[in-house]
Amino acid sequence: MANHTPAAFENQPMWAGGRSPFNVSYGKLMMWIFLLSDAFTFSSLLVQYGAQRFSNVESAVTTVWPDPASIFNHFPFMHGLHLPLLFVSVMTFILILSSVTMVLAVEAGHRNSKKEVQTYMIYTIIGGVAFLSCQAWEWYTFIHEGARLYGNTFGITEQGYEHLHSVSFGNHFEWALGDRTDGPVPFAALFFIVTGFHGFHVFSGVVINVVVYIMTVRGVFERRGHYEMIEKAGLYWHFVDLVWVFVFTFFYLI
Amino acid sequence: MDFHVKPGEYDAINYIPHTESHGTKELWRTFWLLLGITILDFVIYFVMPATGLRNFIFIFFGLVKAYYIVGAFMHLKHEKINLALIILVPTIFIVGLIMGLLYEGNALTWVK
Repeated sequence: MANHTPAAFENQPMWAGGRSPFNVSYGKLMMWIFLLSDAFTFSSLLVQYGAQRFSNVESAVTTVWPDPASIFNHFPFMHGLHLPLLFVSVMTFILILSSVTMVLAVEAGHRNSKKEVQTYMIYTIIGGVAFLSCQAWEWYTFIHEGARLYGNTFGITEQGYEHLHSVSFGNHFEWALGDRTDGPVPFAALFFIVTGFHGFHVFSGVVINVVVYIMTVRGVFERRGHYEMIEKAGLYWHFVDLVWVFVFTFFYLI
Repeated sequence: MDFHVKPGEYDAINYIPHTESHGTKELWRTFWLLLGITILDFVIYFVMPATGLRNFIFIFFGLVKAYYIVGAFMHLKHEKINLALIILVPTIFIVGLIMGLLYEGNALTWVK
């Protein structure tokens, strides 16, 4: 790294005051700043979703925003059953669990325990891949049901609404003729854009975790004397979990 | 990046504050809390009718979860206060954006 530094700064400390005023390293501080800017990106997407949804609350029946329970009610290997919110709760559980293994890896890094860091990083990577697989299945099912970027067939008529709410959790459910109609166009597009953007973050997180895992195995951090890189990867990973909390709340619960 | 850094060389350029483990007790407690709130979300979804109050509860629970993820998992609770402030204070703009665009969204219903 030293050979990339301009001559004037060579052998100078990173912070002119000799230490970071925030008591974190430059890399960690910049990760925080990056996450703040990423929070703005995600919130602008979610706020756009909120505005679109808010503008479709009380108009004619056909433009009423689709009820998420009527769309995301599938579960793998349980075809045709009405299981709203169950699959996405499992996904949330997977992400929370992988967040815990990540933070355990960070904690192991503080004790310079290479073996434990490796174990927990593997768990975290498995969790990330599992989440992405779940999301792929969710997208596949959604598209199979007719979701497109440029249209929405999930508008629900009054008859469909009554039909849906007459079916209890876990029972067989199938749409009848006249239950569904064209709904507000941005519904599916916003779902794809926001969950896609989040999924891409998860994917990047998995890639970062794999890189960090390989560096751990090769003993880079052991030679360096600290496992701070795990903390930086961890910050990013927890941020992905944080975003999911709000995606879960706004797209599925409300 | 040079992967083969000699011991101490990296630290001379990048100041790395000494960190030590606080143990795993707080982390597991946070995990059970997050899991509990998510289960509560699930239960409320089926027990309560879809009203503004229910939405308020969901958003409140979301903020509680966010507090624990950022505070405990991302360790912000234990960082220096000025770091916490430069990260948290700018999120005021998000609140402004939410209020502005909900107002606009409401206005759109009249246009339609």
